[in-house]
Amino acid sequence: MLKISNLNANVENKSILKDFSLNINPGEVHAIMGPNGSGKSTLSNILSGKKGYQVSGEILFENKNLFDLETEERAHKGIFLAFQYPLEIPGVNTNIFLKTSLNAIRKARGEKELDAIEFLKLVKEKAKELKFDEEKLNRQLNVGFSGGEKKKNEILQMSMLAPKLSILDETDSGLDIDALKIVADGVNTLRNDDNSFLIITHYQRLLDYIKPDFVHVLMNGKIIRSGGPELAIELEKKGYESFN
Amino acid sequence: MSEQLQSDFDKLVKTSKFSNEEIQFKKNYLDNFIKKGFPNRKQEDWKFLDISQIIKKNISDLSYFNDYSKSNKIDPSIFVDGLEHNKIIFINGRIEKIDFNFEDQNKIEIINETKKDISFDYENSLIDLNSALTDKVLKVLVKKDYSLKKPLIIYHSTSDKIKSTNINLRLDFELGENSCLKLIDCFGYSTARSFINIFYNFNLEKGSILKNYKIDKFRNNNLKYSFNNIEQDNNSVSETFILSAGSDYFKNEINCNLNGEYSSAFINGIFSLKENQQHEIRTTINHLVENTKSYQLIKSVLGKNSKSAYQGRIFVNSKAQKTDGYQLSKAILLDETSEFNAKPELEIYADDVKCSHGSASGSLDENSIFYLMSRGLNYQQSKELLINGFLMDVVEKITDVEIKNLITNIIGLKQ
Ligand SMILES: Nc1ncnc2c1ncn2[C@@H]1O[C@H](COP(=O)(O)OP(=O)(O)OP(=O)(O)O)[C@@H](O)[C@H]1O
Ligand SMILES: [Mg+2]
Repeated sequence: MLKISNLNANVENKSILKDFSLNINPGEVHAIMGPNGSGKSTLSNILSGKKGYQVSGEILFENKNLFDLETEERAHKGIFLAFQYPLEIPGVNTNIFLKTSLNAIRKARGEKELDAIEFLKLVKEKAKELKFDEEKLNRQLNVGFSGGEKKKNEILQMSMLAPKLSILDETDSGLDIDALKIVADGVNTLRNDDNSFLIITHYQRLLDYIKPDFVHVLMNGKIIRSGGPELAIELEKKGYESFN
Repeated sequence: MSEQLQSDFDKLVKTSKFSNEEIQFKKNYLDNFIKKGFPNRKQEDWKFLDISQIIKKNISDLSYFNDYSKSNKIDPSIFVDGLEHNKIIFINGRIEKIDFNFEDQNKIEIINETKKDISFDYENSLIDLNSALTDKVLKVLVKKDYSLKKPLIIYHSTSDKIKSTNINLRLDFELGENSCLKLIDCFGYSTARSFINIFYNFNLEKGSILKNYKIDKFRNNNLKYSFNNIEQDNNSVSETFILSAGSDYFKNEINCNLNGEYSSAFINGIFSLKENQQHEIRTTINHLVENTKSYQLIKSVLGKNSKSAYQGRIFVNSKAQKTDGYQLSKAILLDETSEFNAKPELEIYADDVKCSHGSASGSLDENSIFYLMSRGLNYQQSKELLINGFLMDVVEKITDVEIKNLITNIIGLKQ
């Protein structure tokens, strides 16, 4: 599904990702762990098409060159990024944003756009599953949301859009224990043989709820070790120092 | 200029029924204007947008005579749909229709006057020009305790029959105790280039409410100036909303005197400008007694080569304790060539007051655009959504739900 080969990324002549390579097959869940500043968010941003990086190497998504696609085209093709710091968009109603987003993607996929009633039915159902306070959907997007509510809103968007590849950038940071379980349930519900996940986290605990197939350790813009779920446990015990 | 003015003034006198006294009265104003000329950037109030230059550049054949003895045809397609309303229709500066069909006729009085003094001090020569060249002053009087059932829409339109390149018009409004008037100004969208000089005078008696919505939305080649003087007695409220988007040039000026305790003034404005448009809002709020309040919020979205300016002055005299004054302006610059100027001015002589001001401008936030695009919206949709959101809180300030919906639709904002 996703094939990253020798990706190099620089910002203002500072090298952030160095010869980064990773393969994710349909149905797989990969976790990336790594110290602050190691390049995790940079990787997620580049996968979603954020501008401002000088990049080389190759990224294929379902055999298409990602660099040829604009951010919204990647979203249409099924790439979703749950932001580490979801943005507040003043004056934009959350429901209207969600509907615009969902219909843009449905349209691109050649599916029928949802009318107001169909949309509300779907969003209510999803909000209920995620125990997301429905009243918040009528507020301005992320404005006045708590840190945890913003993260839950990202997962709500994910489950509405049902992407093929979901990238979760530290979605667990700032979530309470119950919310963590709910978010994990959200991921597990979407998980099937066709959908893949790239989960960025600092904490092994999330991986108790979402069992990854692979765990990678990212340091200084490079994967220095890959393994199974046991790698996360080892990391939690020993810290990054021992891997250096 | 002065020769043309003199001869056009003589024509006006000839086609009117002015008395000798009225002619002399008007002639004084004409002389004042000729002495002062159009305002220019040497005057502090006009430093951002110099109207004398702008007129010179855009109107080469400035002329002033309109024959008010001949009527113009009303084009009903200009009427606002979906909102029942009373009407005053100006065409080429001439009143073609006054229609208060929705109201109790005993509660409203329309008075025509020619000789009307100006009740406040001013230096502005455009008021002189206006007073010299208007053929009459229409006064709308709303009687005590009466709230108009429907809004009044004033249509400002021009037709291609227009002879001159300058139009002056004046309206006075007298709101009796505890009365209420909702007033919408709809500005036309003619391609003829002319300079339109509008002068409104509002007198709000105790407990009365004025809501004035000025809608300049559709692209047109006019240069417009609108001066509004608002006098407010105890517990009166004025709410002014300005959508400044259609004309090549538009300056809205509001001079508000809070003369009575617990009176309050709200001014909210949107500049939405494109290629080569230059607009300004200038406000002066005079807090003259205790416990008065003013609130101002002005937002700009500025395209290529456009320019907006906001000059907001809050004056608090030594008696005006417990004044609450607030003003904020924000601008989104869509291009390197867009320009926003803000000049807040606080002059405070009382010690127990709460006054604040702020101003910010910047380009559209790229991170927000990325966030929206990552959800499948294209660049244009993302940009529009952000701009809508940016402007929405100004529209939200409109206290009349029906008019808020109308304006939301006119602007094309989605709720
Ligand atoms: N736009 C930018 N300009 C300059 N430096 C940047 C920029 N974006 C990222 N960096 C730098 O690149 C490095 C990697 O940043 P990144 O956000 O990818 O780290 P991260 O692994 O996500 O860290 P964290 O765990 O703290 O979220 C950091 O040193 C950061 O300061
Ligand atoms: Mg990060």
